[in-house]
Amino acid sequence: MEVANLGMNDRPMRSGAGPAMLAEPMPDAANGGTDPIIRIAGVGKRFASDTQGSEPVLDAIDLTIRDNEFVVLLGRSGCGKTTLLNIVAGLEKATSGSVLVANRPVTGPGGGKGMVFQQNALFPWLTAARNVMFAAQSRGQSKAEAAALAAELLRLVGLDAVGDKYPSELSGGMQQRVAIARALALDPAILLMDEPFGALDELTRNEMQDELLRVWQVRRKTVLFVTHSIWEALMLADRIVVLAPRPGRIVLERSVDQPRPRSRTNPGLLALHEAIWQALQAR
Amino acid sequence: MDRLIGTRLARFLIPAVFLALMLALWEFAVAAGWLRRLLFPPPSRLIGSAIELASVGVPVGNTLLYNASVTLARILAGFIGALVLAIPLGLLIGSRPLLDRATQPIVGFCRSVATLSLLPLALVWFGIGETSKIFLIGYGCFWVMLSNVIAAVRLVDPVLLNAARTMDIPEHRLFMRVVLPATLPRIAAGARIALGVGFMVIVGAEMIGTVTGLGALIMEARTFYRTDITMIGMLAIGILGLVLTSALARLETRLMPWLPRGNAEAG
Repeated sequence: MEVANLGMNDRPMRSGAGPAMLAEPMPDAANGGTDPIIRIAGVGKRFASDTQGSEPVLDAIDLTIRDNEFVVLLGRSGCGKTTLLNIVAGLEKATSGSVLVANRPVTGPGGGKGMVFQQNALFPWLTAARNVMFAAQSRGQSKAEAAALAAELLRLVGLDAVGDKYPSELSGGMQQRVAIARALALDPAILLMDEPFGALDELTRNEMQDELLRVWQVRRKTVLFVTHSIWEALMLADRIVVLAPRPGRIVLERSVDQPRPRSRTNPGLLALHEAIWQALQAR
Repeated sequence: MDRLIGTRLARFLIPAVFLALMLALWEFAVAAGWLRRLLFPPPSRLIGSAIELASVGVPVGNTLLYNASVTLARILAGFIGALVLAIPLGLLIGSRPLLDRATQPIVGFCRSVATLSLLPLALVWFGIGETSKIFLIGYGCFWVMLSNVIAAVRLVDPVLLNAARTMDIPEHRLFMRVVLPATLPRIAAGARIALGVGFMVIVGAEMIGTVTGLGALIMEARTFYRTDITMIGMLAIGILGLVLTSALARLETRLMPWLPRGNAEAG
């Protein structure tokens, strides 16, 4: 009798479901009471090609993201940050654990999860406007509606004059603006960004960060943003999550409370930069 | 001088002047007796032969234009037939990794077989008529085209597929919405290479069992020691190839306006 009882109490605790969940502190309560929109629970990832005994790409990642929060995943190459993003996007499957977006388990891509890739993810055979319309029409908009939305979104990202240009005729920065407009055309609940400015020169990169914040303030979205640049994280994030490789795990989580636009000489940010720098040294 | 080289006039003029110089040198070398007139007919003689070929024809009635049109028809028949078969088959093989793996050695082997070495077989299979010539051109074009189409599908950037997936495009529609347009530039490049192969094969294919076509003309001329006709025939094939290739390149830029300028000419 006693043994059976112990077993009953033990199981829900480990799986993170059932009555034990009620005892968990609500993570959103501390953060203004908005609903969590992304819940990453115990997510682990191993590739089939990994050798026996090697460390997993991701190991038991827990992360909860509130509605409209801007979270940056920061880490060196190979820490699994892009893999984690792809799992949230539904483009890769986790080996263990679960991801809920808007309280529904992620089973695949689509369904209101917009994504901006590192580069060259625009359809080269479609003009800038047609790329944006592709996304709008994929969620059932008529051609006229999609064209109007494309014009509006291209204006929002500062590209009103190049709608009929092909991606190959646009600079890298302009291409990524179109990619952002295209992701927004899905009217997604969350926006996933995989080092979207990683291939740009530093000046363009800084401009794009300002631009993204401006767009984000007009069209509030939950953003999960992957980068390996500490300053990019400091400029953009409400919260920075630092990952370390082998096994991929969270080694630091910090909120950034400074108002935007932020300055690189801000002493609070400099202190945070130092703390993150230290955390990134973890192996 | 350096400033002149970049201008548009110079771009046309410099090679034209150089060509004229070379022709003049050739003419002079024959006149001076350095080159034998019979083996290296001078440009002035070639112009005369070209007029003869274009008006009277060799043999009489077979004008240059007629021979060229016969050759063109054979090339187009083999080339288009090869495209019609190779494009769908290549798209199918390229999008099925198992099929791709299974057919790789066959495609590689058949592509490497020198097409003209099949000439005796083609004659046995299809006789000496049109079929064997079109078969040989088609064979050469087909395998080049097939391997290019397979590679085109294999090389579609997976990020494009993932981008479409995030936009709720179901897997069965990815092919029409993403794979097909993404492969078009490489398919077009493959077609240009295949056309070049067709031109290499045609001369050999026309050397046996026919008196029509530029290849036959070149062979016939040899029997009569008409080196001038052989040279005109070569020239005609070269011009035909140039015209067809640039027509294909023009078609390409029209069909695929998104390609960076100069892409079609370079490939």
